[in-house]
Amino acid sequence: MFGRNYEELRNALRGEKIAQAFAFQRKWADAMMAPGSIERQHAGRFEVARYKLRLAFRDPTTLIGILAALLFAYLIIVPIASLLVDAGRVQFGDERRIGTEPGGWTLYYINRALFSPVASSLFWTPLFNTLSVAFGAIAISLTIGGPLAWLVSRTDMLGRRWFATALIVPFMLPAWTFALAWTTLFKNRSIGGQLGWFEAMGWSPPDWLAYGQVPITIILALNYIPFFILLFGNALRRFDSQLEDSARMLGASTPTVAFRIIGPMMLPALMSAIILAFAKCIGEFGVPYVLGLPVNYDLLATGLYRSISSRQTGVGAVLAMAIMMIGIIALLVDARVVRESRKFVTVGSKGAMARRSELGAWRLPATGFAIAVFIVSVVLPLLTLVLSTVMRIPANFAFSNFTLDYWIGTNLETVALRNGILLSTQMWAAAWNTLWIVGSASMCAGLLGLLVGYVVVRTPVWPLAAFLRHVTFFPYMVPGIAFAAAYLSLFAVQRGPIPALYGTAAILVLALIADQMPYASRAGISAMMQLGKDPEEAAQVAGAGWFRRMTTIVIPIQKGALVTGILLPFISGIKGLSLFVILAVPATDVLTTFSLRLIDYNYTQAANAVVLIIAAIAYFGTVLAQKLTKTNLADGLGS
Amino acid sequence: MPKITLRNAEKSYGGTAIKAVRDLNLEIGDGEFMCLLGPSGCGKTTTLRMISGLEHLSGGQISVGDKVVDCVASGSFISPEKRGMGLVFQSYALWPHMTIERNTDFGLRLRKVPKAERQARVDKVMKTLGIEKYRDRYPSQLSGGQQQRVALARMLAVNPDVLLLDEPLSNLDARLRLEMRAELKRIHEEFKTTIVFVTHDQWEAMTLATSIAVMSEGELQQVGTPNEIYEQPANRFVAEFVGSPPINIVEMGEGKAEPLSGLVKSYLSKAFPQIDAIGSVGLRPEALGFVQDAAEVPQGAMEGGAQVTGVLPTGGSWIIELRAHDTKLFLTTHKPPVVAEGDQGFFFVRPEAIHVFDSHGKRNVSADIQLRGDAETTAKTAKARLSA
Repeated sequence: MFGRNYEELRNALRGEKIAQAFAFQRKWADAMMAPGSIERQHAGRFEVARYKLRLAFRDPTTLIGILAALLFAYLIIVPIASLLVDAGRVQFGDERRIGTEPGGWTLYYINRALFSPVASSLFWTPLFNTLSVAFGAIAISLTIGGPLAWLVSRTDMLGRRWFATALIVPFMLPAWTFALAWTTLFKNRSIGGQLGWFEAMGWSPPDWLAYGQVPITIILALNYIPFFILLFGNALRRFDSQLEDSARMLGASTPTVAFRIIGPMMLPALMSAIILAFAKCIGEFGVPYVLGLPVNYDLLATGLYRSISSRQTGVGAVLAMAIMMIGIIALLVDARVVRESRKFVTVGSKGAMARRSELGAWRLPATGFAIAVFIVSVVLPLLTLVLSTVMRIPANFAFSNFTLDYWIGTNLETVALRNGILLSTQMWAAAWNTLWIVGSASMCAGLLGLLVGYVVVRTPVWPLAAFLRHVTFFPYMVPGIAFAAAYLSLFAVQRGPIPALYGTAAILVLALIADQMPYASRAGISAMMQLGKDPEEAAQVAGAGWFRRMTTIVIPIQKGALVTGILLPFISGIKGLSLFVILAVPATDVLTTFSLRLIDYNYTQAANAVVLIIAAIAYFGTVLAQKLTKTNLADGLGS
Repeated sequence: MPKITLRNAEKSYGGTAIKAVRDLNLEIGDGEFMCLLGPSGCGKTTTLRMISGLEHLSGGQISVGDKVVDCVASGSFISPEKRGMGLVFQSYALWPHMTIERNTDFGLRLRKVPKAERQARVDKVMKTLGIEKYRDRYPSQLSGGQQQRVALARMLAVNPDVLLLDEPLSNLDARLRLEMRAELKRIHEEFKTTIVFVTHDQWEAMTLATSIAVMSEGELQQVGTPNEIYEQPANRFVAEFVGSPPINIVEMGEGKAEPLSGLVKSYLSKAFPQIDAIGSVGLRPEALGFVQDAAEVPQGAMEGGAQVTGVLPTGGSWIIELRAHDTKLFLTTHKPPVVAEGDQGFFFVRPEAIHVFDSHGKRNVSADIQLRGDAETTAKTAKARLSA
């Protein structure tokens, strides 16, 4: 009789006592006794490694993944590392002051930025200003955006659906559109150029209202209200009314339900919105540039710009590091909050109900509130800008004062720009530059994003997948202006076989690709995840090789995802200012830098007209993207 | 047609110690319709994917015919696209951007089959499966059942030697499922291909397969014909997994023994004294009988007093719930029952229908002693021993 378990049975079989095996184990025994396998084949460590290596390179996925990893290491990690190094090495031109050869290691820049007598104006004041603007803007947008999110998602406010779209329009426009609208209205005599409307009407706005902290805070707040409506509103919409009802059935009062049930569950979403807005705030350049510089109100981003334009590369690197650090800390906190919040995700539960509260007597006032926010954050700024481009003298509403000269006039009485903006060759050159620089960068980013998605989902080498996922997300933590500084630091001079790229369009394209990779790769990964492996595997089993599968199955199916992956980075690239302002030169002028220069030279009408063109492209591009992909902006948030 | 041999095949994911498939030895013969049967997570789909090459091994080897297609020790691996097998996915995996016709002729185009022949083969297979009128539609315009046919057609068009099917009928409604089962059986008979079919549905396995491999937690439990699996389960898992209503289990082990175990033990020790260390006993519901007159109990059968506690009609057959020595037993019968709830009487079971499992539930001990080798002899022996 055989032993009682399989191990003994197997030993017995190996001992060739097959004849005694049970009838119902015949097949099993046959398999064991097939020629050449009486002894179990044992694969050693070396054999297993060799087998795995052969599998990894069976199709080009892994090879492509490795190439992509190298590319991103060069586009993302190397520039940032080079920036970090810059902060600690003697820069050209500083050798006499520091007393060391260029390239030697030094703590001079860190000392100068943090501890020297000028540290206060170089670093500490801008840091303090940045933080106070960020916190102020978030406090305001939270108090306005939070209630709006609730009104739009969980109440019977009038025109709820319309407001859900209308109130997020500011999100689709560049933030400094609003800064320009603000100066158009409030500019006073402290700086030259055309008068603000209030000044022209005889009331001189004080400096604190015209420039600096107050307007910057208000404008950033207006710009981040949509953040709360989108993120917080989404969470509110998913909240299951049954959770609230259960509490009520157990006898909880309204305040108890609000503070013990709804509050704790909504907190993570709220925190997440706050942190994302904060991270965006830190890197914001356009608004403080327009509104802060006239009164020397510096934020870290404008301070960095100043250091770089005055060739203080070392100090600039220290500032860029500081911005980067704040960004990274904010996003680490966010990652933690999101992880915590996973613990009480209740989405998809059966019979989830989203009941709307009835506002009753508050219905009209609430609607009025939403209308007011819409007017202040959308209608007023855009109307001001549009009017300012068709008026000769500010705030003079006489019919004779209106003109289309600034758009389509010829032989104007100005020093430069003697034609209207639509007839100006500079504008079209800048528009063309924008189109092809941002366009080609977006196309590369979109394709690379899909490729990254493919490799991440398919490669059997998981460390490669993890590396690609993380490295492509890294630029998200680095505000654009710091990233631009990093690129400047790396590509300003020739390094190895790579020539000095500064001044070429190539540096802009590369920096844009790197900057847009977080969105592009996330879109690619989620598209590939959604597709799943099955369609490709079906083709594989049918006999299609890797290349065939890519061209006939994967890419055709992912056409839509590819279009979005290109269009969304394109829109955010067109609005983008911080990368260009550091890396562009007159030959590579784009619409954003062109309008900034017009501001510097006080061609107010022309500058506003250019900004309106950018805003129109961004807005209609977003609408088009949403139409094409049948999605809501809320899903592709953050661009 | 080649036979497929898996030898010591193992699969673990992402470097974890948990093995999805453990030391699997299986041979799938030429022209066989083999069902891999088991609960979800038992490793049956992984096994299928390893045969197709979509999943590679962590240990062991697989050969098709005399060709090794995957072997860790020798480092050889043949890509799925070069194995020439056909696979139908549970999700169907139709290509959403191609018409039904393009989906179906994809494999033929890859093989550069001339247009006329391609057309003829596609027409034939589409006709067979009744999807020729959808040829210009896209997959999203078809119902689940139609999509399933397209998935089958796509695979059959290239006429592969080996067909692999991963729960292809699980998303269909009952009626369609029955039709497709018949269709599959017909295809198997017509094309004489080797088919490996993954399912968790025992009826599907029973009705389709020429042989069934039962798996649990990554290990092969038993291989045999549907009848062998049902009548001679190798262990308690197989006995419990196959059969509906499930087999009655009487726990006999120390500490877990049920009230009825005393009666079973004394019967077994008299009838089959060579069995020791009994863990549990399994009694198929249809092997049980119930009579109200003790004289009607067949000789040599195990018997005991019982009370009817419920009669449940299931349409054409009946389940009778009994309580014997405080132990619940289910009995099925195809004859309209003459008993009613509350009736007293006797249950009985013939000796050859008793499955005896060891204390780990691992082995059907009754098979060891050829208890069921020859029903007549067994019954006679038991009778002789009992009367002695």
